[in-house]
Amino acid sequence: MSTPVAQSPSFVSEDASRPPMVLAQDVRKRFGRLQVLRGINLAVEAGTVTCIVGPSGSGKSTFLRCINHLERVDAGRLSVDGTLVGYRMRRGKLYELTDRQICKMRADIGMVFQRFNLFPHLTALENVTVAPLRVRRPPFSFRHPIRSHHARRAFKEEVRREAADLLERVGLADKSSSYPSQLSGGQQQRVAIARALAMKPKLMLFDEPTSALDPELVGEVLDVMRGLAADGMTMIVVTHEMGFAREVGDALVFMDDGEILESGAPRDVLAAPSNPRFQAFLSKVLT
Amino acid sequence: MQSDQSTEVHEPIKAVPVRHPGRWVAGLVLLVLLAMVTNTIVSKIPKQNGQPGTQWRYGWDLVRQLIFSAPYANAALLTMWLTLTAMLVGIGLGLVIALFRLSPNPLLSGTAWTYTWFFRGTPVIVQIFFWYNIASIYPTLGVGVPFGTVYWHLNPITLISGFVAAAILGLGLNEAAYMSEIFRAGMLSVDRGQIEAAQSLGMPHTLTQRLVVLPQAMRVIIPPTGNEVISMLKTSALAGLVGLPELFYQYQGTAANTFQNIPPLIAISLWYLLITTVLSIGQYFVERHYRRGVAGVSQRRFGGYVLSSVFKPRRRGGMWDVTSDSVLVPHR
Repeated sequence: MSTPVAQSPSFVSEDASRPPMVLAQDVRKRFGRLQVLRGINLAVEAGTVTCIVGPSGSGKSTFLRCINHLERVDAGRLSVDGTLVGYRMRRGKLYELTDRQICKMRADIGMVFQRFNLFPHLTALENVTVAPLRVRRPPFSFRHPIRSHHARRAFKEEVRREAADLLERVGLADKSSSYPSQLSGGQQQRVAIARALAMKPKLMLFDEPTSALDPELVGEVLDVMRGLAADGMTMIVVTHEMGFAREVGDALVFMDDGEILESGAPRDVLAAPSNPRFQAFLSKVLT
Repeated sequence: MQSDQSTEVHEPIKAVPVRHPGRWVAGLVLLVLLAMVTNTIVSKIPKQNGQPGTQWRYGWDLVRQLIFSAPYANAALLTMWLTLTAMLVGIGLGLVIALFRLSPNPLLSGTAWTYTWFFRGTPVIVQIFFWYNIASIYPTLGVGVPFGTVYWHLNPITLISGFVAAAILGLGLNEAAYMSEIFRAGMLSVDRGQIEAAQSLGMPHTLTQRLVVLPQAMRVIIPPTGNEVISMLKTSALAGLVGLPELFYQYQGTAANTFQNIPPLIAISLWYLLITTVLSIGQYFVERHYRRGVAGVSQRRFGGYVLSSVFKPRRRGGMWDVTSDSVLVPHR
């Protein structure tokens, strides 16, 4: 069986000088005796939207969590923007990254969760500002106390302004002082997207962002994601929304039982699915 | 006569309510018993011949004399100081031990486990007496090279053997064992997704604990901690046994001098009750602070109503406003 990378040249890196945003080579992962990922090969180009679909338990969420090292990979190579995830290669040897180095890597990758995971003790605005303020803020310098103080204050103002802009962009400018418990599911998920964007990530991961929402609230979240895709954000979306995948996705990946069974341009694979398990899956989902 | 339909829709139901004779009987019995007890509390002991006596059964005159006397008032201050200091030791050390216990390092978590096992497994009074007598096994304390030269040392007779230090160490270290379990339970109660969200934003471990986990754990931590403070207030009476002149010590003195037991007991009980009341009110406000962002009717408890009506005169519909979305919104 040929690898999906070879199957779909449309999103394989042609230009060797510019590595793909995400490159997975034979990525494997097991939880105890359960093999969750059985060798994933995938390349995601910068500026594209890749949708991953598949039945539950197929390993799609696990793969997504491997990309920002919430889960560690057992075997294979996984890199983001040309750098290895979770490890460092030096003199032909792999070294584990320290907590601090992993944090630095994660700061550039946004993630949106199925259950939103907003911080309930912070307002919407505080949810958006907390990470940039604490992670990105320039440190205080004792050698240049006044200059660094001003730089820090300016940074704080800038983060606040940007956070307000982000909330406006997701249509929640009037909810900035609300607590998550006062927002609907769709509003919470939009705040969660704004929170991830506040770190100015180069890659956004969406883990079933609409699965926990009431049907009438799904649209508002998909609209925000659609706008994000139009702005050229690199996105990997684990989803059950076939319409979104068809309309917005540049690539569609079907996973089952820890493997990628089919991938390609969404319109093509959805129109003519070749793998029988993908056909069976589609017949259940699209009815 | 009205039609059936209109009765069905508009008329409020008029029905004979269920009678509860049992409640009335029980209430009456209780009232009589209460009246009898109250009578003994507020009356004087009758003389042998049936004439009204001059001696309060509860010795209220002595209670009034004792309660605001300088030794008792100072003892109350000392009790409060002792409670707060021992609690601060307990909370500070308890937090450290809880973080140790949750650490992935088995040496740290093992140390924390052993600490809790030891200090929770021995009586406080034993621990206090242990610290009181520590100088007999460690005559000096020094700082220097391990197993080598000592550069600086001090005489622990001055430091540890003082009854103040013994009481604070005994109460505080014991409390730390309990507080660490409370902190641990609180931090484990925070949803795993919260930690993952913080991690995915690039927050390091310590920042995640400080900004995300602890503030949410506080909601779980505060109520049992309030319990611990009040429990500590009363456990601090043990410090009287190593000679610290707090409330229970004053009772012992008065009882020895006057051969009166009940009045000084009442006097110190009233002090304990007063301090407990003040602490409970403080707890209410701390709990309210950490309830930020949590909506739900379950928050409105009886104590909440009483205290909010006492300390926050009615502003628009009480403590919570109901918005058009029928979501409870805290007052700003």
